[in-house]
Amino acid sequence: MRIAPTFHVAYRALRRNKMRSVLTALGIIIGVGAVIAMVGIGNGAKAQVEAQIASLGQNVILIFSGSTTSSGIRTGWGGAGTLKIEDAEAIRREVPSVIGVSEEVVSTTQAAAGNQNWFTRIFGESADYFDIRQWPLSDGAPFTPQDVRSANKVCVIGRTTATQIYGNENPIGQILRIKNVPFTITGVLTPKGLSPQGVDQDDIVVMPYTSAMKRVIGGTTLRNINVQIDDPAQIAPAQQQIISLLRQRHNIRPGRDDDFTVRTQQEIAEAATATSRVMTVLLGAIAGVSLVVGGIGIMNIMLVSVTERTREIGVRMAVGARGTDILTQFLIEAVTLSSVGGLIGIICGIGASSVLSIYAHWPTLISIGSIAIAFLFSAAVGVFFGFYPARKAAALDPIEALRYE
Amino acid sequence: MKNGALVRLVDVHKTYRTGEMEVPAVCGVSLEIKRGEFVALMGASGSGKSTLMNILGCLDRPTTGSYFLDAADVSGLNRDQLADVRNRKIGFVFQNFNLLPRTSARENAELPLIYGAHGLSHSQLCEKADRVLSSVGLAGREDHHSSQLSGGQQQRVAIARALINDPEMLLADEPTGNLDSRTSVEIMAIFQQLNERGITIVMVTHEQDIAAYAQRNVIMRDGVILDDHLVTQRFEAAAQIQQNGRARPEPARRGEGAPDTHVTM
Ligand SMILES: Nc1ncnc2c1ncn2[C@@H]1O[C@H](COP(=O)(O)OP(=O)(O)OP(=O)(O)O)[C@@H](O)[C@H]1O
Ligand SMILES: [Mg+2]
Repeated sequence: MRIAPTFHVAYRALRRNKMRSVLTALGIIIGVGAVIAMVGIGNGAKAQVEAQIASLGQNVILIFSGSTTSSGIRTGWGGAGTLKIEDAEAIRREVPSVIGVSEEVVSTTQAAAGNQNWFTRIFGESADYFDIRQWPLSDGAPFTPQDVRSANKVCVIGRTTATQIYGNENPIGQILRIKNVPFTITGVLTPKGLSPQGVDQDDIVVMPYTSAMKRVIGGTTLRNINVQIDDPAQIAPAQQQIISLLRQRHNIRPGRDDDFTVRTQQEIAEAATATSRVMTVLLGAIAGVSLVVGGIGIMNIMLVSVTERTREIGVRMAVGARGTDILTQFLIEAVTLSSVGGLIGIICGIGASSVLSIYAHWPTLISIGSIAIAFLFSAAVGVFFGFYPARKAAALDPIEALRYE
Repeated sequence: MKNGALVRLVDVHKTYRTGEMEVPAVCGVSLEIKRGEFVALMGASGSGKSTLMNILGCLDRPTTGSYFLDAADVSGLNRDQLADVRNRKIGFVFQNFNLLPRTSARENAELPLIYGAHGLSHSQLCEKADRVLSSVGLAGREDHHSSQLSGGQQQRVAIARALINDPEMLLADEPTGNLDSRTSVEIMAIFQQLNERGITIVMVTHEQDIAAYAQRNVIMRDGVILDDHLVTQRFEAAAQIQQNGRARPEPARRGEGAPDTHVTM
């Protein structure tokens, strides 16, 4: 029953000290704005990672040579050359749900055409690669299974490689010299942009893995095998089948670690988003600190205000205000400061993150949930930091308060 | 009890404790004030007048002894209950007015209504405040802030604030202490007028001339009541103002002879 006039009193008190109220709210505005923008950046990065994991292809299983935990030491994926071409063939032959397999070897080297030079990444793949990665060509045609079988000197290049070497010329049909071996370009891949790690995915030359192993990279082992499964429900069984098939082929006795690593797309996605989730939490926490600083600002101003208005509190008590009335009045003041600051902060945060995404091309994502949480949190900051000063005011002795100079 | 004692103090003691020291401020006061009385409380500085007023006003509780207000024992009430009693039954007027700064006269006068259960709408509140303000002669000043009002006008706002909840008792601790003599008479005129309408008034004053507007004078010394007598020659503030329209005119007397200005303390 006394709440409405108490609101009015609190509102008037804030209006009376406009500049001070604005500055105090500014602490919260900056805090909430920072939280919204930072979490927006973190979530945007996460969403981008997820989108790119999805662009790995559909229902994909990756097999890397080397174990992540061989004798307790991480050798890293592709660390030891244990995957053979025959392993890939066995998978193609013996795992029924497999619809595509691409043997992969990777290297970085110089590519040249005419007087143009470009240092780029060489991927040796099978003809299934473009289907597995769901990476169509924008121009020309991919190499064929026949090219793979015959280790033909053909390749497909990414958009970046194309522009770096050929500028505006059409690269299709041109000769690209890699380690002095002339390759004929049959197609150009559609651009994919940056990977989550910041690698330009379009800076690439894709050629038959046979050609790569024979003419460019050398060696007899694969870095990894990309496998595509026909049905998401078959991914887990297929993963198990591949593991037991490879263990058998590699003569690994029961109880010994695998000398290869099988990862589903799901697992890779989880690992990648875990990183960006950590980043989101970290950014949010740093921004949260500024929100807490804003809260301390509110507490400080409320304490000053209680001291300044000691006489007023005394008068109010003399005319019948209870401790709880005084407490509510100051709490409402604090919460009004913090939640109005929160609202403005949310608007500023949204503004800041859209500026970042427009001008710095950072992906940002602001959800309704994070807005609601930011608002509730700012109100809670008001309650938390306003409570002590408010209680101090409510506990004043009316006689002493009236006599306060 | 309607016509009995409004206030009954029974052997009231108040001892302040400051660290190790105990300061006895009121030492065994028994006092009855009837409904409709106008009492002036006098005494030297430090004799315990304000302390006694705080107890009367339910701002403070006696250390020992009982206080019956309107026949109810209020000496054992807690903080919130005392706040409610203050809100419903008591109006305060202070020496330094104690108006809220940068707040209009109307809003100052409304203040006690915020904390009471009355169920009035906002416009009814304003209307009531304006009525009380005009009854103390402040019609047309409702929107002025305290910094735009003279001392006498500020004290009138304070009186309006004290009256707005129709209290049983008006307590005024040196209400004319910060005012010149002419304004003091004006305030006394308001007090006498209110008293005639039935409000009980207890007022602390140092000035004999002011005490002479009351019906009864209670003199304190060292925390006890030294003397308690009715005023034989009472001043009539309204008549004085009418007679001269100037500061402190020739006192108009209700009785005969000089006012009782030679109370020994
Ligand atoms: N809060 C307090 N703590 C300790 N002692 C106090 C306190 N308030 C009053 N006293 C003491 O109690 C005694 C009575 O004080 P009180 O204010 O009642 O006097 P008073 O009669 O109103 O004086 P004055 O005419 O100067 O206003 C004084 O000795 C004073 O020092
Ligand atoms: Mg005093």
